[in-house]
Amino acid sequence: MLSKLALRNVMRSARDYLVYFLTMMLVTAIMFAFHSLLFSREIQQLFEMAVIFAVLVGLATFFVVLIVAWLINYMVRFILEKRSREFGIYLLIGMKKKEISRLYMRESLLLGAAAFAGGLALGILLQQILLAILYSMIMMEYRPRLEWSMGCLITTAACYGGCYLLALLRCRGKFRKMNIHALMSSQKQNEEIRESHEQAKRWLLPLSCLFLLAFALFLFFFKAWDGAVILGFLLGLVLTIYVFYTGVAAWVICYIRRKGSWIFKGQNLFLLRQFSSKLKTLRFTLGTLTSLFVLALLGCAIALMFNDYQNQTLLDKWPFDVMVFSSDTSDTFREELDLLNRECSVEESLIYDIRQNGTDTVNAWLYAHLKTFGGAYTDEDGGLDREALGRDEIWAYYEHDTYLALSDYNRLREMAGLLPVELEEGEYLLHLKERVWDETGDFTGELEIVVESDSGETRATADPVSGEAEVTAESHSGEQRTMAEPHSEETEVMANPVSGITEHPTYLRSAGVYTEPLSQDGHNGADYLLIVTDRTAERMEPYYRLLTVNLDGPAPDDLLRKLDALPSEDSIMDLGGHRENTDMACGTDNIVVYVVTNIVRDNLIPEVKFMLSSIIFALVYIGLVFVCVALTVLSVQQLSDSAKYRFRYQVLHQIGLGQREISKVILKQLAGFYLCPILFAALISGTISMYLGWKFNVHTGTHTAAAGYFGLAFLLFLCVYAVYFVVTYVGFLRNVLAKDCR
Amino acid sequence: MERHYIQVCDVEKYYGQGTAAAKAVDRVSFRVDRGEFVGVMGASGSGKTTLLNMLSTIDSVTAGHIYYENVDITELSENKLSEFRKENLGFVFQEYNLLDTLTIEENILLALSLHQREKREVLSRCREMLDLLGIADIRDKFPYQVSGGQKQRCACARALVNRPKLLLADEPTGALDSRSAQTLLETFTDMNGKLKATIFMVTHDAFSASYCGRILFLKDGQIFHELRRGRKSRREFLNEILDVLSLTGGELSDAQ
Repeated sequence: MLSKLALRNVMRSARDYLVYFLTMMLVTAIMFAFHSLLFSREIQQLFEMAVIFAVLVGLATFFVVLIVAWLINYMVRFILEKRSREFGIYLLIGMKKKEISRLYMRESLLLGAAAFAGGLALGILLQQILLAILYSMIMMEYRPRLEWSMGCLITTAACYGGCYLLALLRCRGKFRKMNIHALMSSQKQNEEIRESHEQAKRWLLPLSCLFLLAFALFLFFFKAWDGAVILGFLLGLVLTIYVFYTGVAAWVICYIRRKGSWIFKGQNLFLLRQFSSKLKTLRFTLGTLTSLFVLALLGCAIALMFNDYQNQTLLDKWPFDVMVFSSDTSDTFREELDLLNRECSVEESLIYDIRQNGTDTVNAWLYAHLKTFGGAYTDEDGGLDREALGRDEIWAYYEHDTYLALSDYNRLREMAGLLPVELEEGEYLLHLKERVWDETGDFTGELEIVVESDSGETRATADPVSGEAEVTAESHSGEQRTMAEPHSEETEVMANPVSGITEHPTYLRSAGVYTEPLSQDGHNGADYLLIVTDRTAERMEPYYRLLTVNLDGPAPDDLLRKLDALPSEDSIMDLGGHRENTDMACGTDNIVVYVVTNIVRDNLIPEVKFMLSSIIFALVYIGLVFVCVALTVLSVQQLSDSAKYRFRYQVLHQIGLGQREISKVILKQLAGFYLCPILFAALISGTISMYLGWKFNVHTGTHTAAAGYFGLAFLLFLCVYAVYFVVTYVGFLRNVLAKDCR
Repeated sequence: MERHYIQVCDVEKYYGQGTAAAKAVDRVSFRVDRGEFVGVMGASGSGKTTLLNMLSTIDSVTAGHIYYENVDITELSENKLSEFRKENLGFVFQEYNLLDTLTIEENILLALSLHQREKREVLSRCREMLDLLGIADIRDKFPYQVSGGQKQRCACARALVNRPKLLLADEPTGALDSRSAQTLLETFTDMNGKLKATIFMVTHDAFSASYCGRILFLKDGQIFHELRRGRKSRREFLNEILDVLSLTGGELSDAQ
């Protein structure tokens, strides 16, 4: 008999809490789909970095499980409360508490199992969509096939089942404390509206707005963030989110009590009272939902940032097919070239030296001025604080400035599809990463590039060359930026205290800055290269040697692995299975930096895209689940109260509102209730997203407007929102209007 | 033909369809004049609430017509019915039907706001009603914080505040103690006398019915008896009602 009753109750619950049931199905589907990516053998075989994907998705699963556990716990208790009268009747007719508890557990487990089974079926479909998206993101061909593993099923079942059991065990305690009177009267208690100290509470609204304003200002203008400040602000933010709703409810109540003009228009009084009473009773839940929306929106916005980075800058990161670094300046790259000729067809290749002359003028300027170092190495005069730099182990730049001879540079430009440039004796060019240029602009006017001249050349360069040297170099892509004024002291023969060049120093004048992609994460310099004439370069020491190759056609999938497998004395294999050299600097790129000796573009891009996709997937995974969970709570809250609302709308109907007007009032009521948390969350996450987007652009060189990331995330988010809203609205209308308001 | 304030002509109401159809109201006809206080008595299931629902436009007739002066409400569309209800009718129910999220005063204000009135007029009318019904001191309380009698007076104020053509009351004293019931009925009589409100009240309580000017007795969906108070005192009228009831053993079966 009890089994029959449980089954019948499950059917009723599934109908009454359809949104919850569907969300649990969706959550199972999402979990299953993401877990199946974790356990996919093909992905594991494709990438050595699959472990990063596993870690990120695993981490996301942890947060997802937490939130799903919260949802289940919330819903199990919510349904328990709503059915308290029914349980009271069971007690009244003689059922034992243990029996009722067991009945409810059985019902919940049946409902959970049904949602799980449905979710698995949906998950298989979602898995195919996810795999197709992943493969298209990493630019590989996807052939539809079912990814099925016991590990995936067990993990999903364990996460899901664990959440359910935890929630149900907590509920058992509630059953133990029950008494018939409390159960029968618990629903009446919900209806009581207690208003006290509303005048005082309404100040919470301007206070929370003030805090948010302060938070936004601090975010953008405060520089000295440390752990305590961040923690303080985060705590303040969470507290603000929670007290905000108390403030809004109190403000609305005070407005009604003050008899503001707006309440005398149509049904506004009813709507405002509905709104404020809902906010009052659900302020904690709404605070939690807002936090979830904030996290979901932020996750989505950050995912879009990475996607944007992937689309905008990754293709420019490695303009050459193959690059090999060697700290041995006599290296002939014979083995590498043999391998390349064996494995593929080499179209063109260049072996050249990056040089140094013991100076570090550019390095010093960049350490002192780039935002990425946060002023840590800037002394009081705005110059480099060498003491501070010496304390830290910084790998951003080489010890000395990196120079390249003009002929090699032009050859490289040709290989990269760029027009050659010209340079007069006594001039230099700065080839800078575009991202750095975006931040610094032309800073060659602040540089003193000094080289050692031989006796004859010193005179030549030291001639009072016209103070306005013409720029002779022209860029094919129009990337040449500006001309700096030639250094006024160029002809003076004097000792440079920094460089150590004391014999015959010559100051070079800038002939401009170029910013085309040139693989400057340690290969063609770190962030920059100084281009000097061949004669000037010859007087410098070779620093390290590079082999740059363009292939005829795409590189084989395992070329990089084979290159890395070649014996090498100056490099070691790193954790990711790539060869690295401790002499290499890395520049100041942040998101993707490969400080590896061997680069094969066609092999690395899918790998990087896979890593970025891992981040994007994990964030979207969290965002999606958080949004669904939060919307389910909103939806269920509204729909389950429909009995109470039905009565209220019936009264409105009796005092003269037609069906169409009632539909409009319902729409307004739901819209207010739905929009309040999302708009508040949008305000908070929008501000944080703007800040993150701005920082992201600074660090990655992407050019999307900071608001763009958030705008798109918000739009995507609204789509999911709209689906839940429509489902709730239709269900609500059906519940309220169908029976009574004829 | 002389037009009465309200004319109910051969009204029928069936629930269900085919062989399962049940007749709730069976060819009922009567008239109500302006300023009358009419009561309807009958046992459970006699059709009195159905009749009230049809009169109040919240349920439709199966056959027949109901005229409010010249308007046949059985011919009106849903939207026009809502408008008609808003403009002409006031309701008082056994369960008060107050909105629990609104205070006593706000329940009255809402009814006024729906009529698109000026703020000043809304407030003055509301104040007037609160004073008239003696609930001004509980104006800021929520329904759950006041007694049943006070709730019912609030419902009464809400029903009368827009000066409706007809006040419909469905067992208004059903949930009240005797003292509150008496106060409410005196209020009804006052409203009827001072404001000239036309009242149509459904009740099964003889004491409540004795406040009416005329009583229709309903049985199995048909009117089978009618009592007029005329110049009789309330006590005499109550005895008369009780006589009718005692004749039928309280079941009104053979009152004729």
